[in-house]
Amino acid sequence: MGKYIIRRLLATIPVLIGLSILLFAFVHLLPGDPTRAILGQHATPATVASLRESLGLDKPLWEQYVIYMGQLARGDLGHSVVNNKPVLTEFMTRFPGTVELTVAALIFSVGVGIPLGRLAARHPQTWTDGAVTVISLLGISVPIFVLGLTLQFFLSVQLGWLPTSSRIDPRLSIPNVTNFMLIDTLLAGRPEAFVDALKHLVLPAIALGSIPLAIITRITRAAVLDVANEDYVRTARAKGLTERRVDDRHIMRNAWLPVTTVIGLQVGGLLAGAVITETIFAWNGVGRWVFGAITNRDYFVIQSSILIFALIFLTVNLLVDIGYAFLNPRIRYS
Amino acid sequence: MTSADISVPGRVAERGSRGLWGDAMRRMLRNGPALVGLALITLFVLAALLAPVIAPYDPIAGALVDRLKGPSGAHLFGTDLQGRDEFSRILYGAQISLQVGVVAVLMGLAMGGTIGALAGSFGGKVDAVLMRFVDVLLSVPGILLAIGIVAWLGRGLPQIMLAVAATTTPLFARLLRGSLLGLREADFVVAARSLGASRWRVLFRHMLPNALTPLIVAATLALATAIIDVAGLGFLGLGPPDPRTAEWGTMLTDSTRFLRQAPYLLFFPGAAIVLAAIGFNLLGDGLRESLDPRLKR
Amino acid sequence: MALLSVQDLVVRFRTHEGTVHAVNGVSFELDAGETLGLVGESGCGKSVTNLAIMRLLPRPAGYIDGGRVLFDGNDMVTMEESELRSIRGREVAMIFQDPMTSLNPVLTIEEQMVETIRAHRQLSRDEARRRAIELLTRVGIPHPETRLDSYPHQFSGGMRQRVMIAMALALEPKLLIADEPTTALDVTIQAQVLELLRGMTNELGTSVILITHDLGVVAGMTQRVNVMYAGFIVETGSTTEIFANPKHPYTVGLLHSIPRLDAEEAAPLIPIEGVPPDQRHEPVGCPFAPRCAWRIERCWTDNPPLAAVDAISSPPVLSGPQATHRVACHNQPTAEEAVAGRPLRSGFVAAPPPAGFVGPQDHVVEHDDELAAYAARDAR
Repeated sequence: MGKYIIRRLLATIPVLIGLSILLFAFVHLLPGDPTRAILGQHATPATVASLRESLGLDKPLWEQYVIYMGQLARGDLGHSVVNNKPVLTEFMTRFPGTVELTVAALIFSVGVGIPLGRLAARHPQTWTDGAVTVISLLGISVPIFVLGLTLQFFLSVQLGWLPTSSRIDPRLSIPNVTNFMLIDTLLAGRPEAFVDALKHLVLPAIALGSIPLAIITRITRAAVLDVANEDYVRTARAKGLTERRVDDRHIMRNAWLPVTTVIGLQVGGLLAGAVITETIFAWNGVGRWVFGAITNRDYFVIQSSILIFALIFLTVNLLVDIGYAFLNPRIRYS
Repeated sequence: MTSADISVPGRVAERGSRGLWGDAMRRMLRNGPALVGLALITLFVLAALLAPVIAPYDPIAGALVDRLKGPSGAHLFGTDLQGRDEFSRILYGAQISLQVGVVAVLMGLAMGGTIGALAGSFGGKVDAVLMRFVDVLLSVPGILLAIGIVAWLGRGLPQIMLAVAATTTPLFARLLRGSLLGLREADFVVAARSLGASRWRVLFRHMLPNALTPLIVAATLALATAIIDVAGLGFLGLGPPDPRTAEWGTMLTDSTRFLRQAPYLLFFPGAAIVLAAIGFNLLGDGLRESLDPRLKR
Repeated sequence: MALLSVQDLVVRFRTHEGTVHAVNGVSFELDAGETLGLVGESGCGKSVTNLAIMRLLPRPAGYIDGGRVLFDGNDMVTMEESELRSIRGREVAMIFQDPMTSLNPVLTIEEQMVETIRAHRQLSRDEARRRAIELLTRVGIPHPETRLDSYPHQFSGGMRQRVMIAMALALEPKLLIADEPTTALDVTIQAQVLELLRGMTNELGTSVILITHDLGVVAGMTQRVNVMYAGFIVETGSTTEIFANPKHPYTVGLLHSIPRLDAEEAAPLIPIEGVPPDQRHEPVGCPFAPRCAWRIERCWTDNPPLAAVDAISSPPVLSGPQATHRVACHNQPTAEEAVAGRPLRSGFVAAPPPAGFVGPQDHVVEHDDELAAYAARDAR
């Protein structure tokens, strides 16, 4: 298995290089004049010149790439055009917000998706199964922005059950320690603020998690059905084991394998979906920042956010693959 | 052979299958959800094609005095911020969604299919390099890739098509590559050749249908995602450059500010997107079930 | 009293294309310590009968539509789940054809064996583990202490089947059902595994139902045989009797399908013409009629019951070494015809069906396999 890990790690290197080239091109090969695109029409010649300098736009391409990679290595992800602050620091302040939202959405989609999938698999071709299939279908057919806005409208605007936007009621001023609202409220010793933060988390998490929910449900159902038809499940029953034992040890232990792979893949979708979700719910995270960057043509922000999200996604996939190899004895001992 | 003569004249009648497509069609017609999907898609396509004929108003012309009126006899779906008729805009929006969606998926098929075919046929180094490239595309998840491409290339329908096509390319590349690699060694291919079917024709009749069917299913499902992604780009402000264009996603951006007063601005474009997506998803699932002869329900 | 008594068992399957009549009123008995062979071609219902006995039919498609299965006097068909579960593994055990797919790939051998043992006996983990080591030794697995921690894929096919046998006999059940236990194994390993099976079941006094399509296996391992065709038992009797004196045309055909090293040169192989019937339709008449060289007109409409070969006054003996040789046939082959493999009566021609007759074999056969269709088309 050690060999598998090494091979997998090595396979990531070309992808990282390819990704860096793509993102390099995003700024340095912007159609037209990169500086004009980034700084806009009203930039002073001085600012334009200094940008050209720092990007090395007059040098040969490969040299520009080397400069870029050097900057990346030093953690220099450029500066935001809007407020001239370094992209990396701006990113890190907002990142906890996105993490909170993404994790909540993941918990929602896995926590509801897997039981639903198992339920449907236990009663195939019945009304229950049909209902689960409908939920799944809606999950992938209703875009995040439609669902988010609809949830906002009904549950917030009309019924007032849940807040419309933000991460927490702004009137409850909570000191910023970790930037994780749930943690900070607890650190400040304010349980009612914690609850408030949770309430703010509900709608965005549901909206963001809807697609992963649908997919996880489907895959779980399929995996359980596949495994339930395997010979070894029949053997387990023939040995006189209880249904519960058959279900847990024989069916689920094998069904988990494909399901965990899918969960890992969903993380990418969650990161991408965060852009839309945070925008709708005015959620202070990286996604909302990226949306602003799109409107303001803040290229360094877009470039770096895509880079970091892609890195996170690649890491998650790597971990999932290794985890899978570990869980599956046929790969672990081969 | 000295076996006894037991032949019974004119008995077992054999009706060969009507081929993959005939069987598939028969199965589809029995599949309820697939038919619903087909109906929705027909509705969608008709709306798009007949928009100029059916639409009661000009989708880009509106009088401010008419702004934000609710659904009524005069305006079936109400009016938007500029006083434009929502119903007409939805119909014309279908044109854009359909156009962009179909072209994007076709482009993705072309690009991904080529990559996959090359990788699958040549194998070795070519395969490795091409698949690394696909991995790079895959490392930027979903709509983020599309956002990146449109932000880079600028706004415009062709750019949107390319962006969405890029998100579907990896899927088609992997599918075709997988099919080709698998089929080379498949038992039934070897069997066909051993039966004397060394003619390319028969090989094409066995290999190609098997490689095509997952592609067709994937393309149909990809259309659903494409429509959603196009709307998503529009929602984020990366839609068609002309702000007057009736595009479902862009129509939704306005609705965010007027959710309380004019919820219909959300519902009708939202429903349109959802119904179109449901249609293609149902059809895709139906196709998958009908075209795979080994699938047991 | 017989250990197992199957009475008029009917099993059907619901499919999209209709109901499949897999087993159509099968009855047989088994005494303690007996080994009964169940022979027939694929699809004849031999495996299904035994899955039905243990109520392991694939759900929701398969269901028992009639009959009783008396094990030690208790009807397994109507038994409560909990009672059934206590019988499975402990009193009745089953081993399957493919040991690779019949063992859970993510659990170690120890885990799978210990759970069987502890499901029915109050043993601690250590005690159960020791029992497992003991069993593995008995089935001939070297270094059992270390091999216990291995996963199924780390064993060879023959070893895996030995493990399955060990698991099945762990609780010393009264009845072992072996469904084609050696079909998936290499020929050399087959003999070893069968030897092991025979040795252990003799030692433990276990009754065995051995399902196979291989007559050679039947000859070496069983005391009695049931020959099945299309969901019916068409002949039954002691193994020696059936081999020496087959009375059903299908059995005759089966015996003649085996190439023999000691056959006369250029003696032709006599295949059984035709294909098995489409069991999606209710059986009409004798199921073997369309393929039978001895058929008379009656065979098309009248399904013969299982009856003693030689007319006897007392009721037939259903089990044990004195079991009556019974056959379901209106026109049994004579001894000479059985040796020749075809009817020898001058002028005898297999009877065509009565006019206007429609039986299951007349319904259209759909070829789902395009390749077969091509081959058929090319062959014509």
